[in-house]
Amino acid sequence: MDTTPPELALLQRRNTLKRLASGASLLGLSGRQAWAQASDSTSSTATLDAWRAMSRVGYGPSPGLISTLQSAPNARTWALAQVDAAFAASQTRPLVAPDLVTFNASLPQLFEGVQRERELRTQNKTERLVDLNAEASRHLDFSAPLDPAYFNRTVQQQTAVWRLGSCSQPDAENPLLARMTEFWFNHLNVFVGKGQVRPFTGHYLVSVARAHALGKFEDLLLASARHPAMLYYLDQVQSVAEGSPGPQGRTRGLNENYARELLELHTLGVNGGYQQTDVRALARVLTGWTVGPDESNGFRFNQRLHDNGRKAVMGQTYPSHLLGGGEREGAEVIRWLARHPATAQRISLRLARFFVADQPPPELVARLTQSYLASQGDVRVLMKELLASAEFWHPEQRLFKTPMDFACSALTATQTQTPSTGAGPVDRRHLTLALGFLAGAGQPLHGWQTPDGYPFDAATWLAPEALTRRADFALSLTRQTPELEFLSPFLGTATRAALSRERPALRAGLALASPDFMYK
Amino acid sequence: MPPPATPNLNRRLLLQTLSAGTSFWAAPALWAQTTAAPGKIAAQAHPTGLDGNIDSNGRLVVVFLRGAYDGLSALVPHADPHYYRLRPNIAIAAPDGSAQSTLALDAQFGLHPALAGLAPLWQQGLLGVIPAAGSPDPTRSHFDAQYHWELGMPSLSGAGTGWLNRLAAPFSRTVALGVGEANPLMLSGPAPVQLVPRGLAATRQGVLGDERTRQAVMNLYSGDDALSKAFRAGADSRIQTAQTLSAGASQNAMMRSEMVAANNGAGSPQGLLLDAQHLGTLMRQNRHLRLGFLSAGGWDTHANQGAANGNLAQNLGNLSTALLQLRRDFSEANDVVLVCSEFGRTTAENGTRGTDHGHGNALWLMGNAVQGGRWHGQWHGLAPDRLHEGRDLPVHHDFRAVIAQVLLRSQGLDRHALALLFPGFAWDASLNGLMRA
Repeated sequence: MDTTPPELALLQRRNTLKRLASGASLLGLSGRQAWAQASDSTSSTATLDAWRAMSRVGYGPSPGLISTLQSAPNARTWALAQVDAAFAASQTRPLVAPDLVTFNASLPQLFEGVQRERELRTQNKTERLVDLNAEASRHLDFSAPLDPAYFNRTVQQQTAVWRLGSCSQPDAENPLLARMTEFWFNHLNVFVGKGQVRPFTGHYLVSVARAHALGKFEDLLLASARHPAMLYYLDQVQSVAEGSPGPQGRTRGLNENYARELLELHTLGVNGGYQQTDVRALARVLTGWTVGPDESNGFRFNQRLHDNGRKAVMGQTYPSHLLGGGEREGAEVIRWLARHPATAQRISLRLARFFVADQPPPELVARLTQSYLASQGDVRVLMKELLASAEFWHPEQRLFKTPMDFACSALTATQTQTPSTGAGPVDRRHLTLALGFLAGAGQPLHGWQTPDGYPFDAATWLAPEALTRRADFALSLTRQTPELEFLSPFLGTATRAALSRERPALRAGLALASPDFMYK
Repeated sequence: MPPPATPNLNRRLLLQTLSAGTSFWAAPALWAQTTAAPGKIAAQAHPTGLDGNIDSNGRLVVVFLRGAYDGLSALVPHADPHYYRLRPNIAIAAPDGSAQSTLALDAQFGLHPALAGLAPLWQQGLLGVIPAAGSPDPTRSHFDAQYHWELGMPSLSGAGTGWLNRLAAPFSRTVALGVGEANPLMLSGPAPVQLVPRGLAATRQGVLGDERTRQAVMNLYSGDDALSKAFRAGADSRIQTAQTLSAGASQNAMMRSEMVAANNGAGSPQGLLLDAQHLGTLMRQNRHLRLGFLSAGGWDTHANQGAANGNLAQNLGNLSTALLQLRRDFSEANDVVLVCSEFGRTTAENGTRGTDHGHGNALWLMGNAVQGGRWHGQWHGLAPDRLHEGRDLPVHHDFRAVIAQVLLRSQGLDRHALALLFPGFAWDASLNGLMRA
C-alpha cells in the first residue's frame, strides 16, 4: 500500500500548525497571564459553541483545530460543514503510517497471515517460539520486520495505534469521521479478544465502520454482516442448515447468536416486535453466510449449507417471489430490517444519546426518526438534522466524557505540543499510556466483550475512584508537555485561578485533569 | 430501548420511585431485628442510624456471570437420559471415576470435573444449589435479563437503582463494594458505594501518592458541586483501597499469569481470582463493608463450548478457584456468596456444538448458613414435556425468592423489608429449607 505522499503532506501540514501553535499562544498571552486572565470567556456563546463543536463533532481542541474553527464563520457552520467533509473523507483511504500498513492489508492477505502463524505454532509446539520483537512490541514499535509467528498480535497493536492516531489528529483524519467510526464500530461491536476476530478488527474498523460511516445504514449493516470480524464474532460463520453434513459423519446445524443480536442490537431493538420464532427463522435465512478467505471481501455464501425451506421473519417470507432465494434472502431481510421504523427509532435515539445528552429531548429523536424514514437511513441527512438542531447546541444538554473521549481529547490536546521525539507524528509512549488507561477504566480499545457495545452515559462512567484515574493519566501524559495555553479560554474561572497558582510544569496535566475537561 | 409509547406507565412510576432511593428506603426499621427469621439472628436495630456498630449480620457477595453460563454443564443431571440425548457432543460424561467425567454429588446430579475443587465444600454442607431458578420474565436478551436481575425487578429495563444499592441505602457509611466493573447496575443508585477497578490498577495510588501533586489536583475539585464531591470521595477511597491492598498483597500468592490476565480489562474469568482476592482483603479490613459484587464475562458459549475440556471448562476452573478464594475470606457464620447468571442456555446443543439462549439456570449459594450438600427446589428433568417452550429449563424458582431467603436469614431483613426491596415478588415457601435454621 502506497501511503507515502499523504503522510508527507500530513507532516508538512503539521509543521505549519506547529509554527502557529508554538511560542506565544494563539491568544497572544502566555504562562501565568493566560491562565489568570480575568474575563470569563467560558460564558460566551462563541466559546461554548466552539468547545462543543470540537469536543462532540471531534475529540476536542488542538491548536490546529482551533485555528481551523477560527477561519470558519462560526462553530455551528463549521460543525455542519463537517458532515460533507467527513463523507468525502470516508470515500478515500485512511492515512496509515508506513509501519502500520499490515493491519489494513487485503482480507486474503490477513487470512494468509493468520494461517501462517497457525502453521508456525503447530510446527513449534514443543519448542518455545523466540519472541524477537517482544520489547519493541511493548513500545508499539513496528520498525523491525514483522515476525510471522506474532502476526495476530502485531495486527492488533497496529490497529490500536492507527485508531488512537485517527481519533487524536484532526489534521490527519476528519474529526467527525473519527467520531462516526467510533459510533458505528460500537453499534455493530466486535471484540478483539475473541481469537478469530482479532486479526480482522482493524480491517472491520476501516472498511465497515469508517467506509460507511456517513452513507446509508443498510449498506453499513450489510457490510458488517459479510465481514469476517462479525461472521466470527457472533458465530455466523458456523451456522448452517439443520442436518448439514459435518466432520466425522456427524451433522451440523443452526446457531442463533448473530440472528438474535441483528434483531435486538443492530436493528429493531429488544421491543421491536419480534419473537423467538423470528430469531430462528432469521438464523435459517442466513445459513450459508460464512467467511471466504480467498475472496476480496472475505465473504462466501455456501449454497450447499443454506436452508432452502420456507422461512417467515416478522411476516416477510423467504425465499420471496421477487428476488428469489439463496444469498439474496439474507441481503433482502437485512435491508428490510434496516428500513424498519423500529430501527429508525433506535438508531435515532442512540445518535442523540451519543451526540446530545444521556436523556435526549424526545422531539429531537422524533425528528431524527422522521428524517431516517424519509431518507431510507441516510446518515448524512440525520447528522445534518442533528448538528443543525437547537438541542445539540443547548448548553443544558451536557455530556460527561467517556474514558475513550477523555483519552482521545487528552491526546489531541497534547500531541502537537510535545517536543519531537523522533518517533514519528504520534508519540507511541503516549499511546501506551492511553491504552493502559482505557483498559483500567473498563473501556479497553476494541475490547468491549459483549455485542451491545459500551454505553456512553455518565451513569456508567462517572464514578468517584475512576475520576482520580483520569487525573493519573492526564499527569503522566504531560510530563514533558509545555503549558496548554490554548485550552485556557475553555476553562472556568476557578480552574484558571487554580492553575495560575501552580508550577508551570504541572499546568498542562492539571488543565486536562480539571473538571472543565471532563465534559464535552 | 424503550418503545415510543409504553403501556407500562405504572412500571415507570415505580422505577422513578425506586430511583428516588433514600426517601423510599431510608427507614432504619427495614434493617431492624427481624421477627420472621428463625434461629439466632443477632441483627440489631440502630434507630439513630446503622453505622458505627458492626452487628453480627453476615456479609453478602454476589458473583455475576455475565453472558449466561451453561448451568447444565456445571451441575450435570447425569441420571437423565434426555441430557445425553439433547447434547450428543457436549454433555459431560456420566460419572465413571475419571477426571474426564462428572463428579457425582448424588443419584441425580454431579459437578463438572473442572469444579472438582468445590466438592469438599459440598461434602461439608457449605455449598448448595437451586437447579432451576431464574427470572420469571421469559426474555432471551442478555441485556434485558441483566437489567431485570440487577434492578431486582423482572420485566423492568432501563436506568434505575440496583437492588444491592437499595440494600445499602439505610446506612450512612459506605457498605457496598464492587470490584471490576466501572459501575455495575446492581450497585448503582443514590447510596454511596466503593468501586474498585479490575486487576492490579486497584493497588496503585497514582498521582494521589505524591503529596504535592495530590494537593494540586485536589485544588481543582474544592467546590461544592457534585463532581468535586465525587472526586474528593474517590480520592479518599482510592488511597485507602491502594494502602489496604498493598498491605494485603504479600498475603496473596498471585501468579504472574493471573495478574496479566486480570489486567486485560475485559472481565476475563481468569481475572476473577485477583478481583476476589481484592474484594476479600478490602472487606476484611473494612468491616463496614457488608455487600460485595464481582463479575466475570466470557460465558456466552454459542459455539464449540467443549465438554470436560475446552472453553467452558476453563472458565469453570477459574470460577472454582475464585470461589475457593472467597470461601477463605467469607467463612463467618452468616456470610453468603451467591453465584448467578442472567439466564440459562438451551438444554439441547445447537448445530455448532454450543448452546443458545435459554431460560432457567442453576444458582449456587456458599456459606455456613446455607443448607449445603444438597440441591433445593423443584426439578423435573429434561423430558420434552417438562421444558419451557419445548426447549429450555423452566424457571421453577424466582431468583428474588432465593435471594429473599438469603437476606432473611443472613442479613436480618424481615418480610416487610423484602417486599419493599423486591416489589411484587412472592415468598416461595418451597425454598424454606434453603438456609440453616
